[in-house]
Order: sequence, then C-alpha cells, then structure tokens
Amino acid sequence: MQNAKDSFYMALRTRLATINPERTVLLRGTVRPGILVEEAEAPFSQPPSDVFILRWLGLAVDMDLGSTMVAEECEIAYQTCGTQSYGGLDRGWALSEMDEELVAMLKPFYAPKLNYTATPPAAMLTQVFWDEPALGPIVVQRDRLNRSAKVMVYSYQEQGE
Amino acid sequence: MPVLFDPAEQGKLSLDTPQAPWIDVGWIQGFTRKPGSKTSPVLTGIPAGTLEQVRETLEAQVSFQFLNWTKLTMALATGSQHMNLLVPASSAAAAADGAQAAPAVIPQSGSSAIFIALAATDAATFAPGSIIALDADYTGQTGFVGAPVAGAYVRQALTDVDYIRRVTFNVGLVSQVNSTGITLAEPLPGGIPAAGAKLQAVTGFVDREGGSFYQEWSALFVMQGSQGERIFFYYPRLQAMASAEEEVVPLDDKHEAGQSRVLLKGKFLALPVTDPLDGERVLCYRSFLPAPMALV
Repeated sequence: MQNAKDSFYMALRTRLATINPERTVLLRGTVRPGILVEEAEAPFSQPPSDVFILRWLGLAVDMDLGSTMVAEECEIAYQTCGTQSYGGLDRGWALSEMDEELVAMLKPFYAPKLNYTATPPAAMLTQVFWDEPALGPIVVQRDRLNRSAKVMVYSYQEQGE
Repeated sequence: MPVLFDPAEQGKLSLDTPQAPWIDVGWIQGFTRKPGSKTSPVLTGIPAGTLEQVRETLEAQVSFQFLNWTKLTMALATGSQHMNLLVPASSAAAAADGAQAAPAVIPQSGSSAIFIALAATDAATFAPGSIIALDADYTGQTGFVGAPVAGAYVRQALTDVDYIRRVTFNVGLVSQVNSTGITLAEPLPGGIPAAGAKLQAVTGFVDREGGSFYQEWSALFVMQGSQGERIFFYYPRLQAMASAEEEVVPLDDKHEAGQSRVLLKGKFLALPVTDPLDGERVLCYRSFLPAPMALV
C-alpha cells in the first residue's frame, strides 16, 4: 500500500512542478515543489499556506479479485492568505489558482506504480489510479481561505507487497 | 465429455489450484439458480385428486457475474465463439477479428507445459508480458478444432492457416525470455506442446454478437463457510444461453460517477446427463460437506 501512496504523491509532485514551477516550499532546508505528505513531515501547529498537503484517511480492501485491490482515501488540503503585495485582497484569486492546479495535477487519473525504497525507484507491473476529486466548500478562517478535496486512490497489491 | 466431480473424493480440493482438468476462473457474484423443470400431477378419482407427480420437463438456469476479465471468463460468459487476436503481420489489411497474423514459430524439442524451447531468433521476438497461443496449423479440416477444448466448429473449409490458433484455448502469459526459449507464468492448459503445434503472439481477445457456435462447459460452483463447510453446485453440462452482456458498478458506492468496475454477466442453461448410478437424467448435483465436528 505504501508504494501506491508514494507513487500517487510523486506523480502529483512531478506534475505540479510542470504546471506551476513557482509553487515551491522550503522544507528542511530544501526548496521543493509545493506539495507534501502530512504523515511524512514533522507535525506543524499551523499548516503552511500556498502548499498542497496530502493526508491519508480511510482504507478499504477487496480480496475477491485475482489481485487484491486496495482503496485509500486521500484528503488534499490547501489554504492561502493571498499575497502581501496586495494586502491579502487577492486571496480568492490565489485559491482559484490552487483549485485549477489541483484539478490539472490529478489528470490523467492514473500513474505508474513505483517502489521508491529502491534506488533508482523500481517500476512495478500495475498502475495507481484514482477518482475525480470531491471538492469541499471554502472554509474562511480570519484572513485565510481553506479548501480540501477528497480523492479515492486505487491500486492492486503485487507479489511481495 | 463432461468433467466428473466427486465431492467425496475431491471435496477438499484447493480452490486456487484445483486438480486438472478443473481450472480456477476466480470469484463470481450474484449467483442465482432458476429451476425450470415442470411437474404434472397424475389425477385419479371423482372428484380428481393428485395420486402422484411426474416430472414433465427438465430445465435449470444459472446466472451470475464474473469479477475478473480473462480469456476464460470472457469465453464462458458469451454465447458465441471466442477468439484470440493474433499479432498482425506488417502491413496486413485490417479485419474485425484480427488481421492476417505474423508467421508462427515452431517450438523445439525439450519444451514442456511451462517452458517453450525456441530458436534464439524466435525467442527474441517475445518479451515478458507477451501472451501466446499454441496450437496446430489449420489444414482445411472441418468439424471441431482447437485443443485442449474445441474453440470452434468449422462447417466448411477455410483458408486461414492460423485459424486454430485464433480459436484455441491453449494460451499463456510469458514471464521470462532467454535465448533458449520462453517461460510461462502458468502451465499451458493443453500441457506439453503436441507435435506440429506452432506458437504466435496474441494482443487480446474478441468475440462476436451472433454466430452459431455454442461452447459447452462443466462447472463447479463452491460456497465456502467460515467454519470450513462447503456447498458445491456441480453442473456437468452448461451452455451460455445469452449473448455477451456487461454490468458497470462503481468502485465506491458513495461516488457513483467515479471509477467503475465492468462485470461480465453470464446466463447459462444446464443440459442433462444420465447418472450411471441409477440411470436417472439430472442437471445439477448439489452437495454439502459439513464443518468439522458440526452436528449432522
């Protein structure tokens, strides 16, 4: 299951770097594309703005198939206060930009499954695939606009997983 | 010839790797049996009362959905001939059930059901993940063709030398390739390649709505309980009685517009056999093996 989670994150991260190379985050001294996995970082008191945060939630397994199918629910949360140069008045515009980037990142709805514990990452036999995102409403928190989208990510368990 | 299933001897069979010639075709859902046999009363007396009953007709239907798409499930679920799409020859004219195929290669001596010895140049034309079909050349014969089970009935002589490999069920998935030959992920259903058999690569499968060929199968359905008990439904002869049909169901019930699974729907007519025990004509055997130490 970890290979599917890693592959989904890396696919989105690679796509984001192409869609908007300027959306970056400085994390542990390194500038990276502005998307991170919450469970793979140190806990934060306030999630960073203008960054996509992946949070893994539910898990379901279908064992009635030739290969076991796993469904993992991923919440992608993001928030923005707009930019300082506009005094935050562009926060709606900034959130719309992130909405569009999210939808663009998720297309196509599949990606190769790789084992990232190997160096270089080893290609596996199946693909990771997912549903269209279910976008939640905007949540206003003072000058901050928040939104989250839920995506069901599917994969098949391969030999050795 | 129907395949025999003896629940007394074979009741503990492994469902994932059953004894040959049984082949595991995976999980199904929506298993429904519909009895169609009719009985009539034999009346006597005034006013008439039923003295006894007689069985007038013998009929039963079975329907269900396959969860997996494989060659076998696709072939079982359709009421027509099922074929392999052979890899086409270069620049071959297009055809609805596959263009003229690239030339077949000949297995070498030393082949087995799971390893096909080939000349190095022939082996190099395959790769892990290739699907292969192995059977004889078509040489103008009529009647049932294909091994280990007939894949078609030829009514008049044809001209396609690859026709038997188009309809054969002797197919396999290539897992490894080296200069001496190819290794398959599972043994060929037909066992060791017969003399004269040739090999071709397959890109997929095709069936047609229509046609006149009816495939016949022996089927064994197993329901396994949590305590190890098993219920078997053994149909010695089943024929598809409906054309190809699919059902699309969402993977996530709460997100019906999301990813879906396409199920193969199958509807079958049970045909009778004569039970050698007492000469009775029957359609299905239902047997029950209780859980260990369960009161009977």
